[in-house]
Amino acid sequence: MKILINKAACAGNARCAAVSEELFPLDDDGYIAVTEVDVPPGKEELARRGARACPERIIIIEEDK
Amino acid sequence: MSAAANVSPAVAKPAHVPDSLVYDFDMFRDPAYVADPHERILDLVKNAPPIFWTPRNGGHWMLMSHSANFNASRDTESFSSEFIPRAEMAAMKAKLPPGMPHIPLPVPINVDPPEHSKYRTPLQRVFSPKSILALKDSINALATELVDSVKDRGNCEFMKEIAEPMPVRVFLKMLGLPLDRQDEYREIVSQHLSDPSSDARAMIPKLQRIAASMNDTFIARRDNPQDDIISMLWKIEIDGKPTTIEDMQNYGVLLFIAGLDTVMNGIGHGVRHLARNPELQAQLRANPKMVPEATEELLRRYTFTVPPRMVAKDIVFEGVQMKARERAMLFLPAADLDPKEFANSDRYDLNRENKVHIAFNAGPHRCLGSHLARVELQVIYEVLMARLPTFRLDSQRPPTFHCGHVVGVDSLHLVWDV
Repeated sequence: MKILINKAACAGNARCAAVSEELFPLDDDGYIAVTEVDVPPGKEELARRGARACPERIIIIEEDK
Repeated sequence: MSAAANVSPAVAKPAHVPDSLVYDFDMFRDPAYVADPHERILDLVKNAPPIFWTPRNGGHWMLMSHSANFNASRDTESFSSEFIPRAEMAAMKAKLPPGMPHIPLPVPINVDPPEHSKYRTPLQRVFSPKSILALKDSINALATELVDSVKDRGNCEFMKEIAEPMPVRVFLKMLGLPLDRQDEYREIVSQHLSDPSSDARAMIPKLQRIAASMNDTFIARRDNPQDDIISMLWKIEIDGKPTTIEDMQNYGVLLFIAGLDTVMNGIGHGVRHLARNPELQAQLRANPKMVPEATEELLRRYTFTVPPRMVAKDIVFEGVQMKARERAMLFLPAADLDPKEFANSDRYDLNRENKVHIAFNAGPHRCLGSHLARVELQVIYEVLMARLPTFRLDSQRPPTFHCGHVVGVDSLHLVWDV
């Protein structure tokens, strides 16, 4: 599973990081630091919750095929 | 005089606005709204069009639905935050005789992208989740002190005694403004925000008054920097140039308005809900870890800010024809009560799966202070649960409210058993 983030549209709500700082690392300004994350096994539900928490709706989960 | 008589006069409807989109609502003085704001908002959500035009306060659009608010907030080319166009502002400044006070421009809130980010970026670090977390212990100590000061009495007027001093003291300290002028600052801000004037130019003297009230501190920090935001802003560069006193005034008016009259009202709405729902209090007392989730649902259920926008060009937005220079209100409280987005939106539901509200707005102007606000809200709810027994509204003195760009609580009398 992959997390894909439209970083340019991040408005710094930091709601994803409130779900998991590990999956959704922020920069020093509090904006998302990455555009793509490979979700480690066992963290899939956390990744989905973090994606849903984004008020900007810019986090997409790519499920394994 | 009846309350309805205070409603602002209606202006004529522009020709391009169809009758079906006209709905009479005074966002400052509608009597039912001022009596119990979120009840009236639920009524509007049910009965008014998802985007409507009201003839009150000079005539303006109200964006009600979640989609309209979400899309307009992110479309800054259609919905501008620059109420006085740049060319006009430049002409006004050019005509000012030498020695006249600067016209403060609240930055970054009244600047559109891409210019917006050059003013916003310098502030982001001090308001980032990490920086704010470092303040949590001192916020907790202040909240505890305030709650303990009324604890043995069995009652308090929550707004004046706790909701106002807590965030205001935190913010003045962050900024570096003197705490002993707290009452004076609060008075200036609440007057500013309760002014229904639809003309941006009429706001200029008020912004100048705010800037003037901070000027001594600006100068003092320039000459003798401390560990605060005003000192930090003196050290930054904008467009490669060091900050000027005019820049400081621009930042100052925004931080002042946004910091001194927002969180306290959020706290007021939340604590009123808790006071009316002892079972929710019991739940949170039994399980304080639920406070952050409870805070999010309180923010959704009682979203309380109404940011204005200026339509920047003739557009058709979600099927509605709007003309350049018309005003549109992002009615975020209605967006977060939109049943299309939140099932049974009127119900406070701690277990609601989707609590993804836009109380802090969406898009580039997302509330800069949202992380501070969240921590303050969580801390005060935690402290109230930990220090006070079950509290309720004083049935003899029901809460009172004010409406406008901030939907706020004026008084909130609480009682508890001692």
